Amino acid sequence: MNRALIAILAAIVLLPLVVRPAIASEIWIFAIFGLGVNLLLGYTGLLSFGQGTFFGSAAYVAGWLLKHYAINVFFALGIGVGVGALSALVVGYLCVQRSGLYFIMLTFALNQLFYFVAYQWTSVTGGEDGMPGIPRPAILGIDFGNPVAYYVFVSVLFLASLWIMRRIVESPLGKILQAIRENEVRAEAVGYDTARFKLAAFVIGGAFSGLAGVLYAMLFGIVPLEAIGFVTSGNVVFATLIGGSGSLYGPVIGSFVFIWLSESVSTLWARWPLLLGVAFVIVVLFFRGGVVEAWSRFAAWRERKWRSSKQTG
Amino acid sequence: MSAFLGQVLNGIATGMLYALMGLGLSLVTGVLNIPNFAHGALFAIGAYLLASAANLMGNFWLALVIAPLGAALLGLAIEYLGIRRLYAAGHDYQLLFTFGLALILSEAIILVWGPVGYSHLPPPILRGGVDLGFTFYPKYRLFVMVAAGLLVLGTWLFLEKTRYGAIMRAGIENKEMVSLLGIDVHKLFTAAFALGAYLAGIAGALTAPIRGLSPGMGVDMLGIAFVVVALGGLGNLLGAIAAGLLIGVAQAIVAAHWTEASSVVIYAVMAAVLLVRPQGLFGIR
Amino acid sequence: MTQFKKRRDTLKLGALAAAGLGFPAILRAQPKEIVILGLWDQTGAFADVGPLNDRGMKMALEERGMQVLGRPIKYITRDGGTQAGTSTRRTEEAVDAEGAKFVIGPWSSGVALAVSEVAKRKKVVHLFSGGTEDISGSRCHRYSFQWAASPYTAAKTVVDNFMKANPKAKRWHLLVADYAFGWSVEKYVKEVGKTHGIEFVGSDRHPLGEREFSNYVQKAAANKPDVVAMVNFGGDAVAGAREIYNFGLTPKVPLIMTWSSGVEELVQLAPEIRENLWVGTNFYYTVDTPAAKNFVKEYQTKFKLPPGYAPSAAYSMTHMLLAGFDKAKSDDVQAVVKALEGLQMNDIVGPMRVDGATHQTLRPYFLLRCKAKSAMKHELDFGDVIATGDAPLPREYAACKDIGAF
Repeated sequence: MNRALIAILAAIVLLPLVVRPAIASEIWIFAIFGLGVNLLLGYTGLLSFGQGTFFGSAAYVAGWLLKHYAINVFFALGIGVGVGALSALVVGYLCVQRSGLYFIMLTFALNQLFYFVAYQWTSVTGGEDGMPGIPRPAILGIDFGNPVAYYVFVSVLFLASLWIMRRIVESPLGKILQAIRENEVRAEAVGYDTARFKLAAFVIGGAFSGLAGVLYAMLFGIVPLEAIGFVTSGNVVFATLIGGSGSLYGPVIGSFVFIWLSESVSTLWARWPLLLGVAFVIVVLFFRGGVVEAWSRFAAWRERKWRSSKQTG
Repeated sequence: MSAFLGQVLNGIATGMLYALMGLGLSLVTGVLNIPNFAHGALFAIGAYLLASAANLMGNFWLALVIAPLGAALLGLAIEYLGIRRLYAAGHDYQLLFTFGLALILSEAIILVWGPVGYSHLPPPILRGGVDLGFTFYPKYRLFVMVAAGLLVLGTWLFLEKTRYGAIMRAGIENKEMVSLLGIDVHKLFTAAFALGAYLAGIAGALTAPIRGLSPGMGVDMLGIAFVVVALGGLGNLLGAIAAGLLIGVAQAIVAAHWTEASSVVIYAVMAAVLLVRPQGLFGIR
Repeated sequence: MTQFKKRRDTLKLGALAAAGLGFPAILRAQPKEIVILGLWDQTGAFADVGPLNDRGMKMALEERGMQVLGRPIKYITRDGGTQAGTSTRRTEEAVDAEGAKFVIGPWSSGVALAVSEVAKRKKVVHLFSGGTEDISGSRCHRYSFQWAASPYTAAKTVVDNFMKANPKAKRWHLLVADYAFGWSVEKYVKEVGKTHGIEFVGSDRHPLGEREFSNYVQKAAANKPDVVAMVNFGGDAVAGAREIYNFGLTPKVPLIMTWSSGVEELVQLAPEIRENLWVGTNFYYTVDTPAAKNFVKEYQTKFKLPPGYAPSAAYSMTHMLLAGFDKAKSDDVQAVVKALEGLQMNDIVGPMRVDGATHQTLRPYFLLRCKAKSAMKHELDFGDVIATGDAPLPREYAACKDIGAF
C-alpha cells in the first residue's frame, strides 16, 4: 500500500472526528465526482465544463425513483451510474468531435440546456424549489438515516471508486487516453480512433459523476436545482485543478480543500467567494499543478536541502 | 401584425446589446484564444461605474463616456498583470483564472456598493416613451438601440478600415505570421483585451437604466455572450453581430408565444447549430 | 467476507466517531443558552433582503435584552444563499453543531419548503413568512408556522378592495414569479377574481431574479388590459414596475403589486412610476397600531428609512417565538409548539391569532394606494393604507387536513 493510500484511509477514519459526518460525506462524494472529471481533464486533456449535467440528471432520476417508488439503495446507485453514463454518452457523442474552446463552450451550452429544462419541468423536478423528500432506504437492517452509518457507506463507495479509477488509468485504455492528451494527432496516426476513446472517457466520467449525484441526493434529502447548474460544473473542475489534475489523488485533495474551506469560511464571512476567487488566481499564477504539485515541489526542495546539508556537513 | 413588429423591434433593441457583448467576447477569444469568464463581470463593472459617475457628476452623458474607459483600464490591468502569463498555460488554467477574477470582481462590487440592487434612471430627456404607431416604445431603449448600433458599426469600421484593426484581425487569423511581420504580439493582445473590456463596459453602462444594477447582473450576460460567440464563430466579428441580433429577435418572438421557453430557446438553438456546424453559423473552420 | 468486514468496520468507526462527536459537545453552547437560528440570505436572489431580516430579528431580541425565561439567547445567522441545497445544509449544521432548536426564515418560499422538511426531520420549531400556502397547506406539519397572511387573505383584500374603487376594471393581465410563492398567490387572485367577473386576458410567469421584462411587458400591452397585476417581489417587482411604466402602460392602466415589500421596493421607484400603483403588503409603516408606531420610530432612528415587510416580518416572528416561550414557560420544543398553537397577540400588524389546526397566522393584510408626486407630503409619503382585510382561508380550500403528531 503506498503512502497516499494510507493517508487517505487515515483521513477517512479521522475526518468525522473533526467535522460533522454530513460534511465528511460530502467531501468523499465530491471526490468521487472529481475522479470522474479528472479522467477527462487530467488524463485525456478534455476540459468538460458541463459535468453538472450528469451529476444532476442522475440525482433527479434516482431521487425521483427513491421518493416515489421506494427503490432500494443498490438499485438507486445503479440508476445513478446508469443515468450518468447514458447522459454522458449523449452529450459526449455530440461534443467529442470538437476541440479547444469549441469543446468547452459546447459542454457549457448543453449543461445550460439541461439546467433550463430542469428549471422549467417543475412538475417533476420542482424547478427552483428543488426535489425534496429523498429518503435513505435501509438495507440489511442498517439505518442510513444515522449520519455515521451513511458516512461509512459513502467512504466504502469512495474507496471502491478510487480503486476502479486506478485500475482504469493503469490499464491500456488509460495509457491511450494519456497519449491522446499528449498528442492527439500522433495517436490518430498510430491508428487509434481517438473520438471513440474520448467518448469512452466521457462515459466513464459520467458514470462516476452519476454515482456522486445519487449519493449527494441521499445525503441532503433534496435535489436542488443548482446540482445540475454550471456552478456545480465549475466547482468540480476548480476543485480538481486546485488539488492537481496531474495525479490520481489530485481530485481527492481538491475536494477536501474546496468543500472544507467553503463550508467553514462561509459561516465566517458572507463575502467568502472573494477569497475563493483569490485562491483560484494564486493557484493559477503560482501553483499550477495544484496541491499535489506544490507538495512534490516542497518535497523535492526538502530533499535537496537534506542532500546538500549532508554534503557540506 | 403590429404586435409582431413590436416584438421584432424589442428583439432588435436587446439584440444590439447582445451583439455588443458578443463582439467584445469574440474579439478576446479570437485574438487571445482564451475562455474569458470575466467578461460578464466587466459588464457589471461598467454599469456600476456609470451609476456612480452619473451620481457624482450629475451628468449621465459624461458618465457614459467615463464608465467604459474605467472598464477598459481594468481590462488592461487584468491582461498585463495576469492573463499575459497564461497564454501557454492551457485552457483549464485560463478558465480558472478568469473565473476567479469574475468572483473577485462581483464580490468587490458587493463590498463597494452593497448587495442591494439599485435603480438608475435614464437622463430626463430620455424618460417615458414614444408612440410609434404599431407600438408604444420607451425612448431610452430606442437610444440604446441606436447607440449600440453605432458602437458596433464603429468597432467594425475600426477593425476593417484601420491599420490597427487589420493587425487585430490578422492576429485572429494567424498570430505567428503577425509576430514574424515584426509586430509586438503582446501589445496586440493587451489592446484586444482592453477593447473587449471597453465594449463589455459600455454595454453595461447602457444597460444600467434598463435592467437596474445588481451584483449578479454579469452572470446572465456572460451566458448570452458565449452563445452569441459560439453561434457567430470564434473571432468572427460580423458573425457575432448577426448572431446577437438573431438571438435577441428569436428570444422576443418566443417570449410572446411560449414565455417559459424564452430562456431555454437560446441554448437550444446554440446546441442545435453547433452540432450541425461546429464553427457556428458564420464561422470558417 | 466483505459484508462481515463492513460491519466490523462500521462498529469500529461508529465507536470512534461516537467518541469524537461527543468531544465537541463540551465546546458547544452552554446548556443554559437558548440558540435561535435566523436563516437569512446574504447571497443569491434575495441577498438584499437578508440584512433587513437580520435587523428586524435582532431588534426584537435586543428589546428583551437577549434573554428569555431568565436565560441568555444565542442568536446565530446563516446564509441560505436563496438556494434550497445550501439552506437545508446550513440549517442542519446549525441544529447539529450549534444546538439550535428554533429556526426563523428563510425568505424564499420555495427554499422555505425544503427547510420546513428539515425542521420536521430534526424536530425543531420553524417560523416562516412567505407567499406559499403549502407550509400551512398541503405540506403542513407540527413544527412549521406561517406568519404572513394566507395568499387567500392577500388576494381577497387586494382584489375586493381594488374592485370597490375600480368596478369597471374587468380585464386583468397577470405577471407572476415562477416559484412556490407566485403560484399560490396567482391561484387565489384568479379564484377571487372569478367572483368579481374578472377576465384574465393573460398570465405570464417569469423566472425568479428576472431583469429583462420588456418581452413580458410588450405581451401584456398587446392584450390591452384594464389592470396589470404583478405577483413578484423585491428586485423583480421593481424591474417589472419600471418596465411597465417605460412601455406606457401605467399610469393610464393601474398596476397592482399584489404581495409587495412596501417601502423597500417603493423607494426604488420614481414618483412617476408610483402614480396609479396599488400595493398589497403584509406590513406598511403607517399602520396605526401602538406596536407598529414604536417599532417604526425605533427602526427609522437606527436605519433612516422606515421598515418594509422584510424587517417587520422578522421582528414580528421573533415576537411570536418569544411569546411562545413566555406562554410555555419552557424552551422544550413540543411545549413551545403547543403554546404557539392558538396563540393570540397584538403586534405590529394588529390582532394576530395562530390557527392550531393549520399553523397559519390569521391577521390583517393591507392595501395601499400610492400617491402622485404632487400629493406627497414628504419624501417617504408613498401612499395611504386604504383597506385592511383578514378574511381567513375558507375550510373547503384548506389543504392541511391533519397537522400531524410530533
